[in-house]
Amino acid sequence: MQANRAEATPVIGRSAPAPSDTKGKHRISAEVKRLEQESRSLEEELQQLEKTEKLSAGLQEFLLKVESIPDPLLPETTGPANTSWDRWFEGPQDTQGCRCWIL
Amino acid sequence: MSVAELKERHIAATATVNSLRERLKQKQQLLVDTDVAAYGRSQGRSAISFVSTDLVCCRTLQGHTGKVYSLDWTPEKNRIVSASQDGRLIVWNALTSQKTHAIKLQCPWVVTCAFAPNGQSVACGGLNSACSIFNLNSQVDRDGNIPVSQILTGHKGYVYSCQYVPDQETRLITSSGDQTCILWDVTTGQRISVFGGEFPSGHTADVLSVSINSSNSNMFVSGSCDTTARLWDTRIASRAVRTYHGHQGEVNTVKLFPDGQRFGTGSNDSTCRLYDMRTGHQLQVYSQQHDGDDNDIPTVTSIAFSISGRLLFAGYSSGACYVWDTLLAEVILNLGELQNSHEGCISCLGLSSDGSALCTGSWDKKLKIWAFGGQRRVI
Repeated sequence: MQANRAEATPVIGRSAPAPSDTKGKHRISAEVKRLEQESRSLEEELQQLEKTEKLSAGLQEFLLKVESIPDPLLPETTGPANTSWDRWFEGPQDTQGCRCWIL
Repeated sequence: MSVAELKERHIAATATVNSLRERLKQKQQLLVDTDVAAYGRSQGRSAISFVSTDLVCCRTLQGHTGKVYSLDWTPEKNRIVSASQDGRLIVWNALTSQKTHAIKLQCPWVVTCAFAPNGQSVACGGLNSACSIFNLNSQVDRDGNIPVSQILTGHKGYVYSCQYVPDQETRLITSSGDQTCILWDVTTGQRISVFGGEFPSGHTADVLSVSINSSNSNMFVSGSCDTTARLWDTRIASRAVRTYHGHQGEVNTVKLFPDGQRFGTGSNDSTCRLYDMRTGHQLQVYSQQHDGDDNDIPTVTSIAFSISGRLLFAGYSSGACYVWDTLLAEVILNLGELQNSHEGCISCLGLSSDGSALCTGSWDKKLKIWAFGGQRRVI
């Protein structure tokens, strides 16, 4: 309705647009800018995709890398092991520990 | 330009964006010729096998009087800070189970906490939209409380996640319900950069989680209620480096993979996913049938990788804590079903810096430490 009113009014001598018209226009304009910026980003991404290898290309290296790192939580792991990994089971274990309640 | 003309331009721009998104999605799909598990099986790998006594709960940390929401380990092995619904931070020596500090917070609605790299300070954030810093060496006040040493204000929404930049005591990143992440200078309390918000390519809903790349601390990943994860370069706040789609629900948690080139996510859609940071490929989906009502699909609340990345630990709202074989996408253990496990939702989890222990935090008010207690074969 407001848009129709703006267009029906002659340009010369037109009274100042209502504040709500200006606010709406700014909002839509900002949104359009955001969408156009996003278009540009998406086009850049499309171009980058042309140079991107298939998913499988990096997987051999990935598997070998993961398997080459010593991991204390695995039942079987590459070395070297570290004796401090087992510190959780050393000494008198108070598995319930300090039970004081913070009030 | 008239409003009508602007509206026409808006319609056209929307159509262009939608069309480009569709083309991008299709082109990306053409490159997805396998996933990690299918490739692993084709290479003759088989899933890790645990016996039920391999991963054991070796400590229970009791002291909070409310749900545990967040935890973080120090880099130097044994200490943990936890944040709870009881409005307190507790610092624990996980090896001895002793509490070394208990900090009563001015704003009790805390949902995230983090240890500084030097282990001398802790940070926390929550529903006061701010992040508070406490120096653990400070003299306590007359009430026996550690005074706050800095408050980082500036977010216009809840602070859901905070993490110190590795090896930089003075830098911290937060994520917020105001749809932005912020890089802070902790010493001055000033915002260095704001990621998202008024700039395009930011998140379009609450940002629930951040994870900083310890291999390259200029890079971090964020996860959001807008169902995406985004990669940021701290030197370029104006736009996200890349956006990762795939989840069908809010992304509650993100975690960098140990190699610094991939990252994991966990979501309300009940799946975890592994992404390649550079190519954007969704490398693997970790999805499991859950017991119980079909209407009550558990959400993934938190994830962590073992130090090699071979294991993916995922906490769920159901109280399950699945241990996934990352390479074969199989659940090999549910910590939630083991003896001495939690009695409620697992809300947070994290690995010690040497990878020898997992800490889980729960709505049952407790934290538990899990380690490998079986026969280890070193090859």
